[in-house]
Order: sequence, then structure tokens, then C-alpha cells
Amino acid sequence: MEGDPGIVDIKQPNSRTCGTKLDPRTKLALGSMGIIAILMTGQTVVLAGALGLLCVGLFLFKLAGQWIRALKMLLPLVGLVFVISIISFDVETALMLSLRLLDLLTLSFLFFHGMDPEDLGQSMRQMGVPYEFCFILTTSLRYVPFMGTSIRRIVDAQRSRGIDLRPRFRNVPHFVALLMPLLVQSFVLAEELAMAMESRGFARTERTLRKAYRISLMEYGEMGVALGLLVVYGVWGRGLWG
Amino acid sequence: MIRLSNIHYRYPDTNEFKVLQGIDLTVDKGEYLLLCGGSGSGKSTLGYLLNGLIPHFFGGTLEGVVSIMGRDTANLTVEDLFSTVGLVFQNTDAQLFNSTVENEIAFGLESLGRPAREIEKEIRRTAAAVGIGHLLDCSPEALSGGEKRLVAIASVLCLAPPILVLDEPLAHLDWQGSERVRKILRRLHRRGTTVVVIEQRVETVLSDVTRCVVMDQGRILFDGPPKAAVSVLRDRHLLPRYPARPALEPANNPGDSEAEPLLRLQNIHYEINHKPILHDVSLQVRAGEILAVVGPNGSGKTTLIRHFNGLLRSQGGDVVFRGKKIRRAGPSSMAGRIGISFQNPNDQFFKTKVADEIRIGLKLSPEGGEERFGKLCTLFHLQELLDRSPYRLSEGQKKRVSVASILAVGPKLLVLDEPTVGQDGRFLEALSGLLLSLREKGMTIVVVTHDLEFAHATAGRWVVVHGGRVVGMGTPRELVRDESLIRMGALHPIGPLHSIGAEGWPGGRGSGNRGY
Repeated sequence: MEGDPGIVDIKQPNSRTCGTKLDPRTKLALGSMGIIAILMTGQTVVLAGALGLLCVGLFLFKLAGQWIRALKMLLPLVGLVFVISIISFDVETALMLSLRLLDLLTLSFLFFHGMDPEDLGQSMRQMGVPYEFCFILTTSLRYVPFMGTSIRRIVDAQRSRGIDLRPRFRNVPHFVALLMPLLVQSFVLAEELAMAMESRGFARTERTLRKAYRISLMEYGEMGVALGLLVVYGVWGRGLWG
Repeated sequence: MIRLSNIHYRYPDTNEFKVLQGIDLTVDKGEYLLLCGGSGSGKSTLGYLLNGLIPHFFGGTLEGVVSIMGRDTANLTVEDLFSTVGLVFQNTDAQLFNSTVENEIAFGLESLGRPAREIEKEIRRTAAAVGIGHLLDCSPEALSGGEKRLVAIASVLCLAPPILVLDEPLAHLDWQGSERVRKILRRLHRRGTTVVVIEQRVETVLSDVTRCVVMDQGRILFDGPPKAAVSVLRDRHLLPRYPARPALEPANNPGDSEAEPLLRLQNIHYEINHKPILHDVSLQVRAGEILAVVGPNGSGKTTLIRHFNGLLRSQGGDVVFRGKKIRRAGPSSMAGRIGISFQNPNDQFFKTKVADEIRIGLKLSPEGGEERFGKLCTLFHLQELLDRSPYRLSEGQKKRVSVASILAVGPKLLVLDEPTVGQDGRFLEALSGLLLSLREKGMTIVVVTHDLEFAHATAGRWVVVHGGRVVGMGTPRELVRDESLIRMGALHPIGPLHSIGAEGWPGGRGSGNRGY
């Protein structure tokens, strides 16, 4: 195929995106420590401060716009947690739980936008995690936007034939019109996906690990500092736990 | 290269029904074979036989011998065969399961255990050959239908398989996308690859191939040169023979051009993330006409019709239905006035029986009732299907149920989005006839399509959309002769079988009466 006409200006892909050069495993470790710290925290003021810091991160990585758009879908969930918590506990607890959820969502957003799922899977494979597990992880992330598109398509098709699927209590019975096609299409996709994987040698055991991932000394240092801070927070910061 | 001897095959749990019945087929090295047939004729099943998915993935009962390059596939696995027989699936969303195009191409090579450095080289070489080098960093989700198809081909081509099997590679593609894929396949064939194309759009690919195999109900009906296949393809309705369109000119129509149009779009502007999708689009749909909105993929056709019933709100301009502006009315409340049937009928079905799918629409209609139910079933030939699950129907039957369920709501305007995609010639003829009979009953219809043959046979007036703008409007006869539209890529000359001078094809010997 050499010498064929085609586009030759091929850019070297750089999957280490989002302005960071961290190894995916470092990002995973830092993200996990962040999640543990947020889960340990029970004081509203501290959680609000953490949210402020995360928002600074969103601005630094130029993700603020995307985050605001994502919030349109996530805020109803946070609102639901707030309402249920108020009914079950009190206003202060409801505020704390809602803020904690918002912190977790923001941190997860930062985490997933800074990482190519394929990189995460490959680096986990390098750590010795079985290939099948890594593949399931990366493929499920690959199909998240696809399922989103499918849902939108189904909703549009059903609304165009008069079935009201707007989020109203009276429309709850109508949602079977969304769930059934989605379920059936997911099963069909799963079978076709399995066929496509088989047809490209998924079951082969001697696979090439194409990219070599290396955690730099600096990254080990960063993880060490983060772990240290987490331990310090765990031992001496109990007052902030709530 | 490929030898199938007395093949009989039955899928698991299908009682005694054999999908393939006594298939004998030999394909030599370097042949370019078109495998065609109506829906359910066993084409795709035959494709799965070639790379060992049958019997190793599907199971079922296989009789006879499938031999690939002298080796019996019964003694091999799919992993043994995947670098010999490259299979490109119809559904690119399933085939492209990696997060970037680069990883997609690399996947098969990694499976083979090739050294990393060699894989990197091969990725770039294949991408350059297929012309997708600029897409290597992209997610498959971000690609157009045509680009996805090219990536799917590249993901298999990188393994340099001596046999390449493609299942409906031209489905969903417009003429430009089809031409790109056809060019690649012709080049591969010239270089000695054995190419097997399973395709419904036979008229597009027939002039490229060296041999044509026509299947019907699991048997080989015809096997020979493409030129000789044309009469068989016509007899079996695989090349559609559209019914003659009644010459009802606008002046004789209920939708006289002077009268208030049923639907009017005025200066519609729509953009996503500051990227304009529709620029200042204006058009009218006259009562009682069939209007085709034609243009290549990505030109904004579907975005345009989503404004008709309020699925999208324009950022400038107005949509006026029967003289009244559609402002806040949502698609659910508009369904009784404008019904849109989208491309994939599976997006609609959620009942276990066809009859229930139709009755949902009737319940929402003020004119609902058993009489209308009966009329719809008669019109769409659904009587035999009423107790069957909509998911278990053929693609053509699904489309009929889908359109009937939209009409059950009682809209005055029926809009069909790409109704010809993935359908065989027989269905295209039937659909064209059905739309013409609906029009005779006074229904107004808009068909969105990139299938110009279908649009020509069905619609009396076209609106040509290109790059988010209306670039042409008029009768098909005027527009297909407009060189400027062809030059800008908004339209293409109709009748691709000119090149083989086929019997019974416009421009060929014994030309039909379509006269374009």
C-alpha cells in the first residue's frame, strides 16, 4: 500500500491530554485519594472549600464550559439527594451530603476528562490486571456517549409519534417506550460487538502491549506527598470529618 | 481461495428452518464478487461462514465443507482465520469499539502479536492508504458515517488479509461516501485481494465487480458476469422498477402553488456550538404533494426536518403550519399534525405485537377507531403480521409498521427520514407505490433521502440542501440537469449502470421509460 495517494500529515497522537503529563495510574491514584478525602469530610465549609479548589482546576484545564453543560444533567440528581436528605435528616446534613456529591462529581469529571480510557486500560494491563477486565473498562467508557446518542434518538422518535417523554410524573408509564427499545438495541449491540471482537482476534492470548507506560520519579513523589497529606488528614484532621 | 461444498446451515433454536440450503460456490484468487439478494436471503450468513463465525461463534447445525485457502474452517477457530479473511461488518458502531481511530487500526495487529514498532508503521501506512490519516486521534463517535466506514475497512485492511468480505459497506453512505469506498475496493481488487461485497445497493457496485451471485431463500439463484445478472436482478426486484408517477402537476393539485402552503419555513437559522448547521433556510410544503429533500450526508437535511415538529427550535426564523406559527408546541402535541418517521424503526418499537404498536397511535388520535385500524392494516399489508413481535420482522416489514404507527396518530403531513437505507429493491418499489397511493388519498409527504433514484420516482418536487443551505428547488427533471448542482456535489448524475451499458437500464440497451 506504500505510495498510495492519501493524507500524509499524520500527527503523533498524544493521549496524555488535559494539560497534564501524568501517567494514567498516577492520575488514578491521585483521583482515588481525592475521593477518599472527600468521603471522609463531613463539614459543609470544608466541602465548599474543596469545591472551590476543584472549580479552580476546571478553569485551569479550560473545562469550566463543559462542566457547566454537564451540570444541567447532574443538578437534578444533586437536588434529589438534597430533598431526600431534608426529609430524612435536617437542612445541614442535606447541604453537606449534596455538597459532597457535587465534589465527587466534579472530581470525577476532572479525572475522566484528563484521561484516555484506552490509556488507563493499557497501563492497568501493564500492571498485570487481566486484559479482559481492562478491555471491559475501556469499552464501556467508549460506549457511554454512544448510548447517550441512542437515548436521544429514541426519545425523538417516540415524541414524534405523540408519546410524551418529558420528565413529568404523569409521564412515568410512558418511559417503557424509552427503556424497551434501548434494552433491545443494547442486547443486539452486545452480540454484534462480540462478533466484531472475535473477528479481530480478541481471544488471542499473545497480544502486543503497544505503549510502554512509565511512572516518573516526580510522579512517585507527587503520589507520596498526596498519600502523606491523606494520612495527616486521617490522623490529625478528624475535626474536619464532621 | 474459497470453496463451499453443499452447505446447509440452521441457526440454533430455529426449528427446522435452514438459512442456507445446498450452497456450492468457488471463488478464485483476485475475484471481485458481489453477493446480493433480498432481505433474509442468507447473504450475511454466508459472509459469517467465510471467517468461521459460523459455526464457531453462532453454533447451529452446519452441513457441508467450507474451505478457505485449502483449509477446512471446521478445524480452525475464528482467531486462526481473522488475518486470512477480513470481515467488515454492516454496523460500524459495533465494529469500532476502541476509543480512537489509531487504537482501532492497531487492535488486530496487537492480536497478532506484531512488534510495537511494526504496528506503529502499519497504522500510518494503512491510514494513509485509506485517506484517514488526519483522523487517527479522533474518537469513532465523532466521525461521520462515511468516515466510520473507512475506519472499519482500515481496521481490517491493516492485517493485509488475502480475502476481504464486506457486509453492506455502502449502506448509510451517500454517493460521495460510496464513491470513496468503491475506489478503495477497486484498488484492492487490482492489487490481487479477493473481495466479496454483500450489498443491497446492487446498482451502485455492479459495474465494479467481476462476478455476481444472486441469492434467494438460502439458495444461489444466479452466478455469472455482472452484465448478465441485470435481467435476473430486475426479475427478482433487486434493481427496483418503480411504479410510474402520476403526472399531477401543481396546477391540478389540491396544493396549488398559489394557495397557502401546509408548512412554511422562513429564514431558519440553527447552529451548534457557534457552528452554523442551517443558514437562512426557507421552503414551502404544499398540501397534497410529495416533496423530496435531497442532498449528501451531513448537509443538514435531518436537522431541517427536526424543526418541522418542534424537536429543534430555530435560533432565527419561523416555522408556520397551516398559517399559524409553531412556537412553543412540542413534538408530542404536534404528532397529530406532523408525523416524522425516523431512519431506524427499532427506535420506535416497544410493544410485543405489531397490532399494539399501531393502536398506540390510534389512542392518541381523536379519529381513532377499529375502522381506521383496519384501513391502515389493509393499506400497509399488515394483516398477517399483527400478532408478531415487531422486532422479529424483516427490515421492510419493520419500516411498514413504523410508518403505519406514525400515520395512526392522524397527521396531515408525513415526513420520512432516509426510508430507503438498508432496504432491498423490492421494498423500495413497494414504498414508492405506497407513498404515491397515500398522496392520491390527499396526504402530504416529505421524503428526506440521498437516494436520488427513489426521490425521482416518488416526488414531484425536490428541495436540494447542501452545506446547510437550500441550493436548488424545482422538479427533478430540471434539477438533475443542473450542472452547477452536480459540480458543487449537491447532486450526482442518476443511473450508475450506464458504465456497463446494461440491458433494461436507462441509458443502456432497452432503456426503460424514466428518460433522465
